[in-house]
Amino acid sequence: MSMNDPIARGLAAGWNVTDASKLSENRTVEADVVVIGTGAGGGTTAEILARQGLSVILAEEGRLYYQKDFKMDELTSYANLYQEGMSRVTADGAIAILQGRCVGGSTTVNWTSSFRTPDETLTYWSQELGLEGLAPDAMAPWFEGREQRHNMAPWETPPNLNNDILRQGCEKLGYSWQVIPRNVKGCWNSGYCGVGCPTNAKQGALLTTIPGALDHKAQLFHGLRAERLVMSQDRIDHLLASAMGPDGVTPSGIMVTLKARQFVVAASAIGSPGLLLRSQLPDPYQRVGKRSFIHPVNATVARMPAKIDPFYGAPQSIYSDEFNFKAGTDGPAGYKLEVPPLHPAMAAGVVPGHGQPQRDNLGQLPWMQSVIALLRDGFHPDSPGGTVSLRDDGSPVLDYPITDYLWQGLRKAYLTMAEIQFAAGAEAVQAMHLDSDWYTSWNQARDAINNLPMKPHRARLFTAHQMGGCSMGTDPETSVVNGFGEHHHIANLNIHDASIFPTSIGANPQLSVYALAARNSNRLAQKLKQAG
Amino acid sequence: MTDPVSTDSSPNASSLDRRSFLKTGLGGAVFLSTVSLSAGLTGCATAPAGRVSAVDSRMDTRYQFQFLSRDDIALFEALLPAMFAGALPEEPNQRRFAIAGTIERIDQGIVKFGPANQQELRKLFDLLNFAPTRIALARVWSDWPSVSTADADAFLRRWRDSRIGLLNNGYIALTKISNVAFYGHEDHWHLSGYPGPPAWMVDALPQFNPAA
Repeated sequence: MSMNDPIARGLAAGWNVTDASKLSENRTVEADVVVIGTGAGGGTTAEILARQGLSVILAEEGRLYYQKDFKMDELTSYANLYQEGMSRVTADGAIAILQGRCVGGSTTVNWTSSFRTPDETLTYWSQELGLEGLAPDAMAPWFEGREQRHNMAPWETPPNLNNDILRQGCEKLGYSWQVIPRNVKGCWNSGYCGVGCPTNAKQGALLTTIPGALDHKAQLFHGLRAERLVMSQDRIDHLLASAMGPDGVTPSGIMVTLKARQFVVAASAIGSPGLLLRSQLPDPYQRVGKRSFIHPVNATVARMPAKIDPFYGAPQSIYSDEFNFKAGTDGPAGYKLEVPPLHPAMAAGVVPGHGQPQRDNLGQLPWMQSVIALLRDGFHPDSPGGTVSLRDDGSPVLDYPITDYLWQGLRKAYLTMAEIQFAAGAEAVQAMHLDSDWYTSWNQARDAINNLPMKPHRARLFTAHQMGGCSMGTDPETSVVNGFGEHHHIANLNIHDASIFPTSIGANPQLSVYALAARNSNRLAQKLKQAG
Repeated sequence: MTDPVSTDSSPNASSLDRRSFLKTGLGGAVFLSTVSLSAGLTGCATAPAGRVSAVDSRMDTRYQFQFLSRDDIALFEALLPAMFAGALPEEPNQRRFAIAGTIERIDQGIVKFGPANQQELRKLFDLLNFAPTRIALARVWSDWPSVSTADADAFLRRWRDSRIGLLNNGYIALTKISNVAFYGHEDHWHLSGYPGPPAWMVDALPQFNPAA
């Protein structure tokens, strides 16, 4: 393997990394801090604490995959790098959930979009929810710091045509559009972000904070699932974790006990509430798992006269916030407009159908362009989000009922996306909906979309953004942690991931998670060092 | 994969008739658990098929099925010609190999789904393999090996167009795992006009050139 790869080099240089599938007997290990999860939140936390001289153990359920494994292949990547082998869905199966399960978490497989939390969202949190420390001015330096750490900057290369169609349509209709900031360094503009960056350009946790933590003597266990946090009196005493076998999904029976004076949970907005629920930690107001948000996503596809090749080029480079906050922060559902990459397996999984029509649809993939709308949930009373609970086997599942408020937003989003695609010259547009035909004019599309039944399963819905479930807030009756991610009831437990967001945010969340985790980890480091 | 026989003790388990199926069935999960229990009791093959003989299946005999049972394989052998109408090779041997390879990849994919979603799929497949529920809910009258491509297509359409969300969901589950395993594989990229990873990248990157 090339020694230009920082992970291969670090492993060769003696990083303290344990593949839990190789353990043959139970173990107990101790450190100052145990961090559960290695995504945007866990990686940031581990690096900051390790750099302050604290001993840190990172526990990751997924396995360590890096450049040698990233071969631009969808099937192996979806099977290995994503939660539940890319089959994760909401409880009723109506919404597909794309979420990473590997070292680096979703930052290893995301499409690199790097947005600050919108000012409107931070203002809402600080003014309406009492989280005064999170006002835009107060957060700005934290965003700036993380933008530097992850090399985030607006994409300077011209967008691929898939993205440029969104720009062209917005331009024609007088809708605003902007260039997306991306966290890349020396990007080859190839389009394979979603299957693990093959060129080490993506500056996700895998190539930034995780190596930073390991360089400062942190220890990483991968293939190790956090089963439960065990309390002794009023503090967490240890984490009980089970090793996965070589397939990465079946427990081997080996148990690892991780002891520390401080625990940081960063296992995602589905995983973190799941861990807290399994652990039966104090939750006097039953807030854990409640108000879970996802940015519900719907999509349209267009057949364009020119070849789009939607599988090549930086997957996301143009967005429109024209409709995100237009009707007020807590008015009718706003949505952000973006573009997804379309590789064959992704396209075949997203476009519902079978037989000759499906073959015909996929046969025009090189001419296909797609727009997605990400709905901003959690701001309006009729958008209370969903609930994470435990299945019989202890695994977490998100129940997410879709309210009429959201259906109205989804219908409006279908309309906007079709309008934009026709304005950009689409020959035909289809809503990703079981009842949608190909429409050949905007007028036809508008009439038809206005009559589409807005029902679960018929409307094809997705999400790649999981937020909430361990909400931060000032009032323990309505939240799980305070504005610094500190648990209301347990002194040595912090939560440093998107699960603490009190609403969704209206943007791809990685930078929001990095920044909040950085802010809260700096405070935690000071606290731990003072306590000595 | 262990069958979730012990996880549900629905009172309907021992009095299976069409009405009780529909009554509980439209409720969702409870119904599906019932079916899984019944299917196990009535001799449906729910154990992983392991290695399948090449004589009767065209399967790669080295491939070890970890999730799909013999009945599940028969189900997909009946569904895939309808699922991929116009996309499968015409030549009989190539066609059988394409179907067999897709079923193996479906199995591989499901292994990584993990226990919870495997259990959901077990319920779905049992429902489709157990004659009373196959007839009641899929309205497929004969065993899958005797089902024509036209009948398989009609079944898929019925579930797609049903006003019952649970059946729509079944349609999505069947088509999604099949479509991904088929169109996502290198052998079938040409059908979607996908040229594959750029050759210049494959030439330049160390993970494709380990000796470099």
